[in-house]
Amino acid sequence: MKTGRISWAVMVGAALALSASFASAQAINSTAQTISLNAKLAETLTLNLSANTVSFTLSAGSATNAGSAGVTATTAWVLAPGRNNVNVYAYFASSTAALTDGTNNIPSSAFYIKDNTSAAAALTNTYAGFGGANAALQLANVPITATNRSANRTDAMTFNIDLSTGTLPQLPASTYAGTLTIQAQAL
Amino acid sequence: MLTKFGSVVALVISAILFAAQGRAQVLNSGASPIALNAVLPDSITLTLSAHAVNFTLVGGSANNPGSTGITATTSWVMKPSVGTLNVYAFFSSSAAALTDGAGHNIPSADFQISDNGGAFAALTNTVPFGGANAGLQVSSVPIRGYNKTGTNSDLMTFNINLAPLPNLPAGVYTGTLTIQAQAF
Repeated sequence: MKTGRISWAVMVGAALALSASFASAQAINSTAQTISLNAKLAETLTLNLSANTVSFTLSAGSATNAGSAGVTATTAWVLAPGRNNVNVYAYFASSTAALTDGTNNIPSSAFYIKDNTSAAAALTNTYAGFGGANAALQLANVPITATNRSANRTDAMTFNIDLSTGTLPQLPASTYAGTLTIQAQAL
Repeated sequence: MLTKFGSVVALVISAILFAAQGRAQVLNSGASPIALNAVLPDSITLTLSAHAVNFTLVGGSANNPGSTGITATTSWVMKPSVGTLNVYAFFSSSAAALTDGAGHNIPSADFQISDNGGAFAALTNTVPFGGANAGLQVSSVPIRGYNKTGTNSDLMTFNINLAPLPNLPAGVYTGTLTIQAQAF
C-alpha cells in the first residue's frame, strides 16, 4: 500500500516536471510591429550629346560636305506601364533657313543626317512640337515592352550638307550658322 | 518557624493567583496561514521609433536608401530556461515585398537592411515569421543569468537594390515590413 502511494507520487512529480519543461521550451513572441514602405520610381527621359558643335567646310555646288565630327545622342528612360514608344527627333526651327548668313540660307532639305547604319536622310518631315514644318527627321522609334521600360539607346549621327540642288550651287561664299536640335519623346 | 512557613505559603498562593490573572488577560486564536503566489511571466515587447520609410528610386541603381532609419527597441523578462532572443524582419511574400499592384514587384531579395551600422543584408532567409525566403534575422541576444531582464536596440537603415531589376517600370511601389522578436 505504502509502495503504491510512493509510486503514484513519483509519477505525478515526473509529469509536473515534464509539463514545466515543455512549457519552458515553447517560444515566446513579441507583438509584430509594422513599417510601411513607399518607394517611388519616377518617369525619366534624358538625352545627352557627345558634342555640341559641328563645323563644315563647304565646297560650292558639291553634294558632299561632311561635318567635322559625328555626334552621339544617348537617350535613357525609365517609363511607366502604358508607354508604348520612345522617339528621337532631329529638327530645325525653320525648313527654309536651317543655316543662314543672315541673308542667304541653306534649307533643312539640304541638311542630311546618317543615323547609325541607316541611309542619310534630309530633314523634310513635320512632327508636331518638334521644330518647324518640314524641318525635322525622326532618328529612332523604339517600341517599349515589359523588357525595356528602363533602358537606353544611342544614335551615332554623322552630318552632310548637299549644295548640289536647287539654287544652292549659287550659294554665295559666307559663314552660315544654324542650330540643330535633338530631342526624345515617350508616348 | 510557623511564621516562616506561613510566609512561604502566602507567597506561593500569591504567585499562583498572579499567574492565573495573567492568563486571563491574553486570548489567542489559532494561526491562519495565507499562501502567497507571485508570478512574473515571460514577456517581450518590441517598439519601433517610426512606422514609415520612403524611397526615391533611381532606375537600375543599386543604391536607393530609405528616407530614415528606424530603431527597434526590444525589452524582455525571461525565465531561466530561455536561452536566446532573436529579432526578425520579414515580408509576407518573397516575390512581392513591394508592389505597384499592377503585377510589377520588388522582391525581398532586393530589399536590404543594415543593423547598427553593419553590412546590408537582403531578406532572403526563411525565419519563424513571414513568407519563405522573405526574412532576415536582425539580431540575436544570448540570455544568461545576468540579462534575464534586459533591452536591445537595433538601428535599422534600409536600401532597395534595383541593379537586378533594370526593367522595373516607373511607378509607386508599396509594401509592409514587419519586425518581431522571439525568445526560446
